[in-house]
Amino acid sequence: MFDQPLAARTNPERSFAEEVRSLRLGAGEVFRGEGVLAVTKALLQSGVAYVGGYQGAPMSHLVDVLVEAQDLLDELGVHLETCTNEAAAAALLGASINYPIRGCVTWKSIVGTNVAADALSNLASPGVVGGALIVVGEDYGEGASIIQERAHAYALKSSVWLMDPRPNLQTIVRCVEKGFELSEASNTPVMVELRIRACHVTGEFVAKDNVAPPISRNQRLADPAPHNYDRISHPPSTYVQEKLKVEVRLPAAQRFIVEQGLNELLPGERDDLGIIVQGGIANVLLRGLDRLGLADTFGAVKVPTLVLNVTHPLAPDQIADFCKGKRAVLVVEEGSPDYLEQAIGALLRKRDIGTRLHGKDVLPMAGEYTAEVMTVGLLKFFGQSANDMDLSKPAQALEAARAGRAEAQRLIGAPLPLRPPGFCTGCPERPVFSAIKLLEREVGKVHISSDIGCHSFATLAPFHLGNSILGYGMSLAAAGAVAPVMQKRTISVMGDGGFWHNGLLSGVSSAMFNRGDRVLVVMQNGYTSATGAQFLPSSAGNRRDGRNTSDIAATLRAMGVRWLRTIRTYNVATMLRTLREAMTTNEPGLKVIVADGECQLARQRRIRPQQAAALKRGERVVRTRYGVDDAVCTGDHSCIRLSGCPSLTIKPSPDPLRDDPVAQVINSCVGCGLCGEVADAAVLCPSFYKAEIVQNPAWRDRLLARVRSGVIGWLQGRSRDTATVA
Amino acid sequence: MTAPDRPVTILIAALGGDGGGVLSDWIVEAAHHAGLPAQATQIPGVAQRTGATTYYVEVLPLHRGQLAGRTPVLALNPAMGEVDVLLASELVEAGRMVFNGWVTPDRTTLISSSHRVFAIGERAAMGDGRFDVGRLLRAVRERSKAQILFDMDQAAEEAGSVLNAVLLGALAGSRRLPIPDASFEFAIRAAGKSVEANLAGFAFGRAHACGELEQTVRLHQKRQAEARGVEDLLERGRRSFPAGAQPVIEEGIRRLAGYQDRGYAELYLDRLDRVWGSEKDAGGDGALLGETARHLAVRMSFEDVIRVAQVKTGADRLARVRTEVRAREGEPLVITEHFKPGIEEICALLPPTLARRVLAWAERKGRLGKWYWSMHVRTTTVSGFTRLWLLSRLRWWRPRTFRFAGEQAQIERWLDQIQRAAPLSLTLAREIAECARLIKGYGDTHKRGLGNFARIEAAVIAPALAGTMTPSVAVDATASARVAALADPEGESLARALGEIARHTQEMPRAAE
Repeated sequence: MFDQPLAARTNPERSFAEEVRSLRLGAGEVFRGEGVLAVTKALLQSGVAYVGGYQGAPMSHLVDVLVEAQDLLDELGVHLETCTNEAAAAALLGASINYPIRGCVTWKSIVGTNVAADALSNLASPGVVGGALIVVGEDYGEGASIIQERAHAYALKSSVWLMDPRPNLQTIVRCVEKGFELSEASNTPVMVELRIRACHVTGEFVAKDNVAPPISRNQRLADPAPHNYDRISHPPSTYVQEKLKVEVRLPAAQRFIVEQGLNELLPGERDDLGIIVQGGIANVLLRGLDRLGLADTFGAVKVPTLVLNVTHPLAPDQIADFCKGKRAVLVVEEGSPDYLEQAIGALLRKRDIGTRLHGKDVLPMAGEYTAEVMTVGLLKFFGQSANDMDLSKPAQALEAARAGRAEAQRLIGAPLPLRPPGFCTGCPERPVFSAIKLLEREVGKVHISSDIGCHSFATLAPFHLGNSILGYGMSLAAAGAVAPVMQKRTISVMGDGGFWHNGLLSGVSSAMFNRGDRVLVVMQNGYTSATGAQFLPSSAGNRRDGRNTSDIAATLRAMGVRWLRTIRTYNVATMLRTLREAMTTNEPGLKVIVADGECQLARQRRIRPQQAAALKRGERVVRTRYGVDDAVCTGDHSCIRLSGCPSLTIKPSPDPLRDDPVAQVINSCVGCGLCGEVADAAVLCPSFYKAEIVQNPAWRDRLLARVRSGVIGWLQGRSRDTATVA
Repeated sequence: MTAPDRPVTILIAALGGDGGGVLSDWIVEAAHHAGLPAQATQIPGVAQRTGATTYYVEVLPLHRGQLAGRTPVLALNPAMGEVDVLLASELVEAGRMVFNGWVTPDRTTLISSSHRVFAIGERAAMGDGRFDVGRLLRAVRERSKAQILFDMDQAAEEAGSVLNAVLLGALAGSRRLPIPDASFEFAIRAAGKSVEANLAGFAFGRAHACGELEQTVRLHQKRQAEARGVEDLLERGRRSFPAGAQPVIEEGIRRLAGYQDRGYAELYLDRLDRVWGSEKDAGGDGALLGETARHLAVRMSFEDVIRVAQVKTGADRLARVRTEVRAREGEPLVITEHFKPGIEEICALLPPTLARRVLAWAERKGRLGKWYWSMHVRTTTVSGFTRLWLLSRLRWWRPRTFRFAGEQAQIERWLDQIQRAAPLSLTLAREIAECARLIKGYGDTHKRGLGNFARIEAAVIAPALAGTMTPSVAVDATASARVAALADPEGESLARALGEIARHTQEMPRAAE
């Protein structure tokens, strides 16, 4: 699959060379870039000794960039672990339980935190002596791809501290640096959550020199830590540890938060009112106040505001002091449940502070706090708590904007066509679903257990295939109790990413153990493609030494799977035949089809420069793409319903007598051949043709072409003489 | 322009993977070069895989030197009524931003490409699922303060560039940002990728936005059939029929002469004479004739193997393919056709008695719909072309085939229904004529279309012609059934629609009684 030198073997989707340069900036230089990259730089400035993680939007780039910065990591002695799931990443932090070394792991939350939960609990109980940071990408609100839950719950239940920095690079960097200190000052792991927009926000900060950790790959320890049962999360230590959490570590953390001024108090003239806000959504609040004439562009506010860059633990005195003497305080806390509001309410009640508390009564319990939501909430809060304020103008502006939107929707008249994500042009996974569609024509509907990954796009148009998604690598396990009640076998679809993440153990081993009579399709495209084409254990060529690591089929055979087929995905007819066999064979137990085809995005990025170079050298290169004869197509679009390829679209019919648009293949076609295969397997129509364009033709090509066109032209001339042609 | 201490807000609507991130990086870099604080963010996630997504940028029109140590707090979310510039890489995405209220007539300059990238729902529809662009354009114009709208996809192609560079140029040309052109160009150079091409796209977009450049709008051309030796038939058409229907009828004459022969075109005119006679008697103005003429020409030139061979061996076809796949002068091209005829396609070419016998045998043996011959024919080779060319020469045999006989019988039946409906209601007759659009395609698609037509015929057309359903009810019923038939290939919508029609007609007292 790879014929590049190891050094050139970088992330196949995009290069991070520019980002890697930013990581080398020294003291006094200005760093400019995105939030995630700022976090990465802050880690190196903090003397981190190890970094690990599992990719997932919006945090993928943290590890991606470090993978390309191997030289820098080697110089500093930083160990990088590209973990195969979040549990492995969380367990990595175990190094900081016994050794005074700083470590950071990262993943997409809430899902990654769920996977990591067991290790997190076992990490938090003994606590750490080296700073342990967990940077989670809070995949919440617009643009999120997962269930909407808060990571906050984990911080509360495991006694892990939670930072929620204001979304600007200075604060994010400071929180990372202070996070390590907080972790060490309180012997507790610290979680830093960054929402989607904060991960991608651009900005700048003044860099510091990177710090080589005192204990590291380059500075190894001679001896392990002495055995200390107190550091083990096993009874009776666990009883002591539970007490330590609340009696020692919590007060230490609260002290550190106040002393270091991690939370920000923005003073304002309206002393009778106050707002407490999560740092991460402070900008939405501040712009909202600005809209109401209560703040300016530079963040100066008229209503005193406490910005919580640390949302767990709260510093009770800080909260009480802020609220004391105020008529009303608004807690701006995104998502459900309202942990902060409850905690602040209890605190005010216990201390007998009479300040009225608002929060989820004026702001919605669930959903992202967008500009509009914030404005409505603030208007309600001030309407109830400060009737001396004249907010009629912003209220009217909001109403006018809403009326305008209603008018716009009336003008447009109908809902606009949805544009959900879908398989890329030439994706090797698409043909599998074309084949499943064709299978369903024969055997009727089948229960499809879907998974996380690009293949989950099959649940959307045009395939609409899939009955449930239970988490990453869970599709086979999720069919465990469906299969026994179905007359037809169930099909579980899983990516190679999901397979190594969790599917092998939760799915395959359990199905084998229980003699599950099910069908599993493993999409082997070589990367975790949905998250940006990261390498995985079965990728061709390990990033460290270029040698292959693990093979899916070999692993399955070792697990005892007897019915196992590896099929090239683009061959729809074979795929259909194999699926049919898997559904009907008398062979008991698990039946696995490994659907093999390299991620097209990665493949294109790999071969395009090679082809361009070959063309430049004057070598013969054949470019393949598909096309539709617009005079043969009648505009039924069956081919599109069985494919959905972005390069297979429609255009107005060239026929003056027809209205329906005809199918068309556009130039983004990569020539994967699926349209031809589908037209063939589904017996659609003879419109499709394959075109092979010979670039830099050899003399043989040219001669052959001349002879052929001569004969063909003569025949066509004869046709024209005798008749007229449509 | 906004007040100097208010950020200029820019919302970018794009399709995932189309370079919206690059565009937003360029803007931030250009602002930085011009000494202005700026901030951008995005929510890519899975939308990177062809979905719709947005980027949001704020630029403070205040030079860094004038900040006096203060740091602006820039927003990460757009706000309704507070967007100064909308950049959209595609028309429906611009429309989506209007629909969501981001674009307002007091403030927003809308800069968008006017071309369409069809969404999956539009592409997958069984007929014409395209969104009404007219409505969209009207909303886009009425709901924004100013507009810069042109086909940036075409512009990018002409400039040898990419769309987002053209979009950046249009933003610069709109003069809504206090950023000089040189800073934008600097940003493109600083990014270091495809610099020359991007600068060309930028220059085109800027010039267009400034009104220094007009774009030649590419018009969609319909291709007319060619035919010689039918001048007298064209003349007969002009003499016999009203002017409104003439263009369609002339096209029909040429097409059928090319498809079969002169005599077949004459049959077309004879059939139209009958329809026009019925319409005239019912007081019609030729609308029914025009509609019927259009569908009749399509139905009479049904898609059989011979026609496909005709098209694939046509004189202008190779040139058409070369243009479409962008094969350059001197680059040989190999074309491979995908055919997969089954027993029915073979029988279509046999004489009716023989075909019926073969089909009955195949049905008995369970071979129907199971036996196919997959053929990949290379029409750019002499042997491949010759095979199809010989097939295309079988036109003389076509009238003797099973398929031909079947098609003519169905056409006659349909024309008869139109003629019988005309005196009852011309609208009903037109609706029946319009039902012909359900019948199209090959293989299963064709069979499904015929089946749907037959179901509508039985449930609506037959009762209407028999007088057991009033014409006005039948008109609505036919129209709704036709729409339902094109809603899903499984026929579920049609079944529902016909069920509803049946219930409705049972409840209604029969008009005749």
